[in-house]
Amino acid sequence: MLEVNHLQAGYGNLNVLWDVSLNVRQGEFVALIGSNGAGKTTTLRAISGVISPAAGEVRFMNQMITGMAPHRISQQGLSYITEELNLFEGMTVQDNLLLGAYTRRNGRQVRASLEQVFDLFPILKERSAQMAGTLSGGERRMLAIGRGLMSEPDLLMVDEPSLGLAPKMVMNVFQALRALHERGVTLLLVEQNVHNTLQIADKAYVMEQGTVALQGSSAGLLDNEYLKETYLGKR
Amino acid sequence: MDVTVLQSLLLTGLLRGGLYALMAVGLALVFGVMNICHFAHGEYYVLGAYAAFFGFVTLGLNPIPAILLAAFLSFLAGVITDKLLFHPLRKRSKGEWVMNAFLLTAGLSVVLQNVYRAVFGMRYRGITQYWDASVEIMGMSIAADRIMAFVIALSAIFGLWVFLQRTRTGRAIRAVSQDERGSMLVGINLDHIHTLTFGLGSMLAGLGGASLLSLSPAYPYGGNKPLIASWFVVTIAGLGNTQGAIVAGFIVGLFESFSYFYLGQGWQEVASLCLLILLLLFKPTGLFGTNIKSVWEK
Repeated sequence: MLEVNHLQAGYGNLNVLWDVSLNVRQGEFVALIGSNGAGKTTTLRAISGVISPAAGEVRFMNQMITGMAPHRISQQGLSYITEELNLFEGMTVQDNLLLGAYTRRNGRQVRASLEQVFDLFPILKERSAQMAGTLSGGERRMLAIGRGLMSEPDLLMVDEPSLGLAPKMVMNVFQALRALHERGVTLLLVEQNVHNTLQIADKAYVMEQGTVALQGSSAGLLDNEYLKETYLGKR
Repeated sequence: MDVTVLQSLLLTGLLRGGLYALMAVGLALVFGVMNICHFAHGEYYVLGAYAAFFGFVTLGLNPIPAILLAAFLSFLAGVITDKLLFHPLRKRSKGEWVMNAFLLTAGLSVVLQNVYRAVFGMRYRGITQYWDASVEIMGMSIAADRIMAFVIALSAIFGLWVFLQRTRTGRAIRAVSQDERGSMLVGINLDHIHTLTFGLGSMLAGLGGASLLSLSPAYPYGGNKPLIASWFVVTIAGLGNTQGAIVAGFIVGLFESFSYFYLGQGWQEVASLCLLILLLLFKPTGLFGTNIKSVWEK
């Protein structure tokens, strides 16, 4: 579904990604893990068109989307939830969610999606008339994920949903992601929380210094000696 | 104080305030959504006045069609301006957008004033009245033109409000004013929204110029006064705050009509400027502005 080949990208003269290739198939839950500064977020930005890649190609649903404008990529069915969330803080929760469905014209289907999101995150229904800026950290993540789902995306990319959340909220968010996966949503998740991520993802890519250092099934990676030593702190 | 004096001051203040609000809302919209400190706003006011004049006098249209024609032409002019000037600039600027865009509007203002001068000459083009009637309100007889200008201003503001709150495109405009990256990622085409916003802002200015034609004739430099007035209102409200601009429009209208009466002609501007200086000293974000930072950092 998503194929990234030999991607290079960066900011201005600073190159961050040197050679990134990855593959996400329909219905898969794929994780991109690695330490701070490894290039995980930059990879998502380059895929979603927020920055344009310097070299390499991105294919989505058998179509080249390399260097396309972000709104066009979003219209193709790829939803990207950023680390900063980029919520519309001065607008209501409901308006935020409806904007997630901006590209869809059928009002009845949008209503149905709204009900599904409220079903997944009941707290958002309670808060629907509240300004997004007044939500707590965990609620904001849920709203961002909910907004991302409103476009009925074929692929949902989520950047560090556990960042800055209390451990209990982290578990809630991870459970929500797993629930989404069980409903058939294809996911590409970026995380630093390696242990938890490998518990819920099907497979993972480990990034180091702008390249993919390691890849494999989650079960295999959990047994990998190198990963254990470097990321999981076990010997 | 004499009750009738109070009534007449309130009434003239409100009538004045409605048009200030109309102009200022356009300015606030352009700043809030596009981050442009728009110093050519007055030139679209003048464009609206010219369009209404030629529609009403030369083409012999009825008042309302003439004013609507002016609104449409100002909208079109705004759209063309964005496509021709701001769109290319946006593609090329990054961090220095706010300054570049401001300079562009300042230059545009000079160019447009001189284009008007070259095309229409230095003469005033005005009309005595659109509607030959007057309305009796609270014992005072007021020209129908003033009442209609007020009604048009309020309807336009109300129409804009409904559009922004209730439609999909309006919601997208508000979204862009809040978070550009978030808007792109939900599939909003920023270029379209920017062009539409500049068109709408220009339309509101043009509507102001058209509906006030009998009070202030079309003239190449006629945009300076409304420009300053609307910047004044927007600064008091807090930059980029459209709702605040409506309230502040009325505040300024009332304040001016009262200071005109009590301090004498010519002093109302001094009084207004003192008000502005005091406000900026004690509440630099304006009466209703809280999130200037977020707008600038967007």
